[in-house]
Amino acid sequence: MSVLIDVPVGPQHPALKEPLHFLFQVDGEYVVDVRPRLGYNHRGIEKLAESKTYLQNALLTARICGICQYAHSTCYTQTAEKLLGVEAPPRAQYLRLVLAELERIHSHLLWLGVMAHEIGFDTMFMYCWRDRETVLDLFELTTGNRVQHAMNTIGGVRRDFTPSMVETVKKAITKLRKRLKYYEQLVQKERTIRVRTENIGFLSPRDVVDLCAVGPVARASGVKRDVRLDDPYLVYDEVDFHIVVDDGCDVLARTLVRCREMVESADMILNALERLPDGPVRVKAPTRAGKEEVIGRAEAPRGELFYYIRGNGTNKPERLKVRTPTIANILSLCKMLKGCYIADIPPIIACIDPCIACMERLTFIDPKGRRWSLSHEELRRYGLKWYGLK
Amino acid sequence: MVWPEVEWLIRVLIFPGFATLILLSLFYEWVDRKFVAKLQNRYGPLHVGPHGLLQPLADLIKLLTKEDITPQAADKAIFALTPILLLAIPLAALQYVPITSLNSLAGFEGDLLLVFFLMMLFTIAIFLGSEASANRFSSVGGVRTALQMLGYEVPMGLAAAGAAIAADSLSIEGIVRWQVQSGLWLLVLQPLGFAVFLLCSLAELEKVPFDMPVAETEIVAGWETEYSGRKLALIRLGQDLATLLYAGLMASLYLGGPAGPAPIPPAIYFLAKLTVCVVLISLLRAAFARFRIDQALRNFWLYLLPLAIAQLIVVQLLEGGVVAWL
Repeated sequence: MSVLIDVPVGPQHPALKEPLHFLFQVDGEYVVDVRPRLGYNHRGIEKLAESKTYLQNALLTARICGICQYAHSTCYTQTAEKLLGVEAPPRAQYLRLVLAELERIHSHLLWLGVMAHEIGFDTMFMYCWRDRETVLDLFELTTGNRVQHAMNTIGGVRRDFTPSMVETVKKAITKLRKRLKYYEQLVQKERTIRVRTENIGFLSPRDVVDLCAVGPVARASGVKRDVRLDDPYLVYDEVDFHIVVDDGCDVLARTLVRCREMVESADMILNALERLPDGPVRVKAPTRAGKEEVIGRAEAPRGELFYYIRGNGTNKPERLKVRTPTIANILSLCKMLKGCYIADIPPIIACIDPCIACMERLTFIDPKGRRWSLSHEELRRYGLKWYGLK
Repeated sequence: MVWPEVEWLIRVLIFPGFATLILLSLFYEWVDRKFVAKLQNRYGPLHVGPHGLLQPLADLIKLLTKEDITPQAADKAIFALTPILLLAIPLAALQYVPITSLNSLAGFEGDLLLVFFLMMLFTIAIFLGSEASANRFSSVGGVRTALQMLGYEVPMGLAAAGAAIAADSLSIEGIVRWQVQSGLWLLVLQPLGFAVFLLCSLAELEKVPFDMPVAETEIVAGWETEYSGRKLALIRLGQDLATLLYAGLMASLYLGGPAGPAPIPPAIYFLAKLTVCVVLISLLRAAFARFRIDQALRNFWLYLLPLAIAQLIVVQLLEGGVVAWL
């Protein structure tokens, strides 16, 4: 006879970097069921965006997340530029690509350290974060800040790279590339890492499609899903981009995908800096948008980032909606967690690279299993009726 | 007071007894933290005392001054008893390890078995303390501790048995004396036994890769979760003393203990060998990730136990002179 115990993980827990709540039903060391509960990090950003101008929102959206802030910033400015009818000049697009790929390296290195920490390998955590300092120093050199660069503006980037900066970045990335290759080898060879990540957190390709997983989680199950390939933005179609896919479907595969993506990013940065065209880095953009709605996608380090902006003829957006990759991966996470050991919970939660700060916006959980979607107007009316204000 | 009694009191309480052992254990905590930090490209303790030497003492004093909270649902007697046991047991076991001379403070024939028994009590005290904590994370940690004991206890006992058989003595000072007399360290004759003993020590001390009873990222702090303040201070000190004990056992059983050519005092030799053993433990702690409990048990029973048995077979063959006869 087995007794099921409820083990709560979160919202405060050493395994979690951000508040999240999972209620696990366990039978000994074996997880039977998991129920997530979100909402601890909700900050009302989408509502706040309606009261700021498009230019101010470029800085606001960057603050949705600290690790993938450049992805948010880039996706927002791209989408806003589409709405306002401008296009950033080629040099700006190349610089944006360089910074975006630098951020991918920094995010994946941070993640690799966190993953190592989750499996008890603190030495590797220290090494990864030390190498991450190289990237942060490059950010500080080129943008003035280690995170929260505030580089993007509607119409381009705010600062240019001087030739000496370009040289420094090239040299540093060439050196870093060797370290990144080392991590790729290490993950495959070190037995204690393999033993904690292999055959854990299984997600079949069918589940990836059914549960709409994105990013490295999808690519590690053999599904070729990458916005840079499917819907190239910036200048990804001009730079040598190779999608990284693995068919392991487990935590080890996700680790390998991210390691290889880092190497790919390093190559893309060097490639882009070789081809960096001359020219202006920003153009003047109109401040008022028409009554239109646009969407924009970008490949954040965690997966597909989706922005929707609706204009209303003024210089402030009518509605901003952000769908981040982590929330798309939460259902896949729950699927992966069922049937694992308690000891495997931290690596599995970590392997989707959760960015809870990114994730906390409108969530719809229907206890009856009924799925429905409301358009913005219907939702507004429903809310008013519910509160008896109509 | 008669002089022999006073002298005995000084020896037990101060040198080389409790006070010295506690100070030594704090020193070796510093060695461990500094060495692991260097391996991880960090500084380690730096400011408190020269090169951070006083950091472990500062941490101990800090813990002693903090509030000691006992959960309402906890079994108060056992909850309070566990830290005391965890401090007292290694201190008691250390009385049988020779430090300043070839004689330990309370050695007798059979004290090797007593030390093993005491350390088994150590693990059982941890298990009792975890159950008395009335916390599900503690429960999981305590269960893991007990499960781990099932894994390492047998190989470690067999490895030590190999040393005892070779030295024809069940007392630790007897084994040290044999190494002095035969002029050979048991490390040379029984390297497998040393390796098995080293790995099992890592498991007993709950250090990576065998630290799943206190796996921070998985179960908060495992069996230590509910302990705070003075109780936690005693637990930490007990763990440091246990590290000292196992390093001391490794040094005595395999590295010849305090023996060494005069005129350097035996204590210095013992300290040097202790440092080597502690550095070995720290090196292994820094170099690996953490095993899952089932993986650790599998490794113990499938790999370490056969190695320990193989070592024992080799020892028996050597003892019986079969090799010489061949």
